[in-house]
Amino acid sequence: MTKILTRYGDGSAVELTESELMEDLIAGTEDAAERGNIPAMTQDEMDHLADIFKCTHRVVGVDPGYECVLSYDGAPIKMLRTNVTSDRITALQIYEKLMGADTLEMGFVDYSYKPIKPILTFEEPLMEQALLTTTAPIMYGAQPNLGRYSQPDGPFPNPAELMPMGKIKEAQESYELAVDEAVKDMVDVASSMYESGVDCILLDTVGAAGDADALAGLRTAEILREKYPDIGIEMGMAGEFVLGMHGALEYEGVRLAGLYNHQMLELAQKAGVNIFGTVMNTSTTESTPWNLARAVTFTKACSDIADIPIHANIGMGVGGVTVHDHTPIDVTSRASKALVELCNLDGL
Amino acid sequence: MIDSALIEEAKKMLVAQDKDRVEEIAKKVIGDGQDPLELMNNAFIPGINEVGDLFGRGQLFLPELMQAADAMKVATDIINDALAAKGDGAQESGASVVVATVKGDVHDIGKCIVVSLMKANGFTVHDLGRDVDIDTILEKAVEVNADVIGTSALLTTTMNQQKTLEEALKSAGLKDRFRTVVGGAPVTPRWAARIGADAYAEDAHDGVVKIREMMAQK
Repeated sequence: MTKILTRYGDGSAVELTESELMEDLIAGTEDAAERGNIPAMTQDEMDHLADIFKCTHRVVGVDPGYECVLSYDGAPIKMLRTNVTSDRITALQIYEKLMGADTLEMGFVDYSYKPIKPILTFEEPLMEQALLTTTAPIMYGAQPNLGRYSQPDGPFPNPAELMPMGKIKEAQESYELAVDEAVKDMVDVASSMYESGVDCILLDTVGAAGDADALAGLRTAEILREKYPDIGIEMGMAGEFVLGMHGALEYEGVRLAGLYNHQMLELAQKAGVNIFGTVMNTSTTESTPWNLARAVTFTKACSDIADIPIHANIGMGVGGVTVHDHTPIDVTSRASKALVELCNLDGL
Repeated sequence: MIDSALIEEAKKMLVAQDKDRVEEIAKKVIGDGQDPLELMNNAFIPGINEVGDLFGRGQLFLPELMQAADAMKVATDIINDALAAKGDGAQESGASVVVATVKGDVHDIGKCIVVSLMKANGFTVHDLGRDVDIDTILEKAVEVNADVIGTSALLTTTMNQQKTLEEALKSAGLKDRFRTVVGGAPVTPRWAARIGADAYAEDAHDGVVKIREMMAQK
């Protein structure tokens, strides 16, 4: 019997029979459907996904007609992280001219909005030079990173210390104060970069610090949309649902804690976001077929209802990809092909 | 046998974070001379596991999780005191276990559940808390002459500390002296095998089972 070579979510190799493959696809899609209260994949969709796994080629690609926008996450920072010596503008040129990027992302090494504010006078001319030496649209990206606003890194009491002491109300108040400060910082940084010519502001990893972090991202998008009607705003998620670290915060009357990507997408659209970046987590103990079926199911729930482009995150530990610093091409290319073809994605 | 309705209520009250009722039930069961371990294994452990599952699905949030953990701690303390008074305890297994969440990782709710269940099953547990460096773990293990070192890591970025611990044990010539068991959300049996840990524990109950197996082989 032919065995299908694939991997667990932690990257270890595993061989599956065709029936084991289909069992994992069914279990993965049903898990997503049950958690997100969304439709599971149809049999046709699972058959297509099974064909992608059964293909014996190490690398696969999308069928003609499914080509989409390709962006790299945290681009200039990651070039440096791989020990390639380049300044940030050179890194963007490499992504555009050598690696086929359709959009570029400028970012500061800390990748949080708060520490960028004091160095805006250095970031602005750099952005202007980047715009003059590249052709693709450039985003300026960073995270709300609400952790930066609580002690010892910020002014407010640390909710992670207050909660275990039973000071839940105090912890929630601290989160609320942090939201107000983070919104101010993000609007300031985004405004400066937009006025320096950037094409799009990327509010990345929104919700990484929980529902307060997500609220900060949504409020920032709303303010920026009102201030600059033509600004591009991408919102990238941090995980497949918003963790309820505060638990009671709302946006437009909707409680943010526990919202899955398709539910956050609806709020993001209301806030004025015009590209949405989905994130689905990988389980290290399950197989790639299980993880990818799950990622497709969650992502499709977004693309089915979206009025704006969906650019899925596909990389270390997200989008069905294994948890590797350098993700294996067999998994990454299968995840890309599956998500683009089955979810009609606009970009990766 | 504890009345099944009481078991169900105990579990439900823990999930509902009703600390007072949890405490009341624990005291009643012990006061009635019934088995505290049965209450722990059939009500409180499944209850706290359900809390963790609801949190993992985005259906229950951190404030509720913390309050449930607080109620669990009250229950565990009452049950452990009762077990100690009865004379059940370390002599049952003979296992002395050093437990820690590794350096760089501040997540310890899961680890606390492990500690609770180990204590309830009669292990002598030395809980070093969270964000613990390798040297501290080794020093404690030597100091208390531990049988087992158990480490937890919730993050892919911190699970490497478990590998560092195995390397440190080898460098210090202590690998044969202590058995190691690893756990945490991203940790897998394959990871345990890859780094040379003696066992992988899928959850708190599995941790107890694995340590019992280790002690039986000793």
